[in-house]
Amino acid sequence: MSEKNIIEINQISKNYERKIALSSLSFVVEKGELIALIGPSGAGKTTLLNLLASILEADSGELLVDGKPMSQFSDQKKRAKKIGIIRQQFDLVGQLPVIHNVLAGRLADWGFFKSLFNLFIPQERQEATTALKRVGLPDKLYERTSNLSGGEQQRVALARLLMQKPEIILADEPVASLDPARADDVLDMLTKLAKEEHQTVIASLHSVDYARKYFTRLIALKNGKLFFDLPADQVTDKQLEELYQLKELS
Amino acid sequence: MKKRRSPFLTFSFYAFLLLIASSWYFVIGIKNASLTELFSKENLEYATKFFKGLLGVGQEEIAFLNRDSWSDAFKLTVETLQMSIMAIGFSTIVMFLTVIPAARNVADGTLTLSRRWYRWFVFGLIRVSYIFSRAIPELVWAMIVIFIFKPGILPGAIALALHNFGILGKLCAEVIEDTDSRPIRNLASAGANRAQILMYGVFPTVLPQFLTYILYRWEVIMRTTIVVGFVGAGGLGQEFKLSMSFFHYTEITLLLICYLILVIIADYISEKSRFFVK
Repeated sequence: MSEKNIIEINQISKNYERKIALSSLSFVVEKGELIALIGPSGAGKTTLLNLLASILEADSGELLVDGKPMSQFSDQKKRAKKIGIIRQQFDLVGQLPVIHNVLAGRLADWGFFKSLFNLFIPQERQEATTALKRVGLPDKLYERTSNLSGGEQQRVALARLLMQKPEIILADEPVASLDPARADDVLDMLTKLAKEEHQTVIASLHSVDYARKYFTRLIALKNGKLFFDLPADQVTDKQLEELYQLKELS
Repeated sequence: MKKRRSPFLTFSFYAFLLLIASSWYFVIGIKNASLTELFSKENLEYATKFFKGLLGVGQEEIAFLNRDSWSDAFKLTVETLQMSIMAIGFSTIVMFLTVIPAARNVADGTLTLSRRWYRWFVFGLIRVSYIFSRAIPELVWAMIVIFIFKPGILPGAIALALHNFGILGKLCAEVIEDTDSRPIRNLASAGANRAQILMYGVFPTVLPQFLTYILYRWEVIMRTTIVVGFVGAGGLGQEFKLSMSFFHYTEITLLLICYLILVIIADYISEKSRFFVK
């Protein structure tokens, strides 16, 4: 693992109207780390990911990616090379064949005519086939995407990330709509591929079990604040219990 | 627990009853209309005469048994088909050119993730043109167009296209408004620009729906050619009007058969092509 800090978050805050979503949050992410964001609903996990994806802007504080502020990544194409996103299974275009959804990961590098031409004669077929092979769907190249099951669709999304090759992968509840067996499968693949490609992963998860099983570092948020930030094997059950505890009635 | 009725509902119920009672009073009491008069001996005579005419009973020249009139009718059928294809072609082209800025989620930037100040202006302009185009019936468009052009199938096609452009535009803009924005946001985060989002995200999701609407409107246009034909826009409609005026009832039967065939063809094509798209 290199010493380089790929993400630095310094005293970051975000409010919605009167509600505080994140309050002066700080942490540092090294290159190649696999981080799980855990915490109860409304703790600010999605807000944090949206800030990292530059879908939202922070009210105050500093957010550095690769030592540069987020504003330097305002160009979509540049940002796509740095940061890739995977969400629940609704992020593919269902009417297109699988291969186009995979090749969409290359759109950042393609111009107008190549993208248009690609819809009729798929370009870079070799790479797309390899990517699909790596996620275990080698024979679904020309299948209509909406005909695939939820787990298979998430694998296609992973194959797209393989084509996109971002340095950081943000995963927002990547397995929320899958059954346990498929969820295991997708997370296993996500972390394995990220290790192979030396990518950094930040994933928000509902399930603590998955977080401990597949990720190296757990960041727990509660009410927009950092609750704990520990390596996965040092998290105790008591801490988790406190994290998910409902507010005591006073 | 008993629900409290709104006073408006009660009022409209009684108003409804009153309206029915007074209408019947007007029809029977004041106008002296009677149901039996509708089925009078005279009316029956007219009806039998007309239908016998359509079937060609007791006539010397029966158009739908005549080879020459069939070949004439066939030419007119082809003309009508040409007119309808031209009409749907024109309106589809113009619809495609205007439909994207006419969708609300493009105007406010949620679909393409880019905002421009002039989007709402363009949106309003196109939507008003849609309303204008479909508010005027085909027949009126045809009368206006024929005032300018010579009668024939081209002005007929233009008139039909003018009316259907507004309908298609509105329907298709609504299809775009209903598209799921989540896959599109994800394309944007994969680095796709505006044109690429349209190519990969928007068109593949909306085109099958567009096709359904276009084919449906084509079928409607085919039937409406009879209406614009009445004012001299050519095709079967014009011939229909002439045969009506000359009391050539068997020709009317022949033309109706031709229409039937046209609609069956359109039905078949739209069914097949929709299956093909899926």
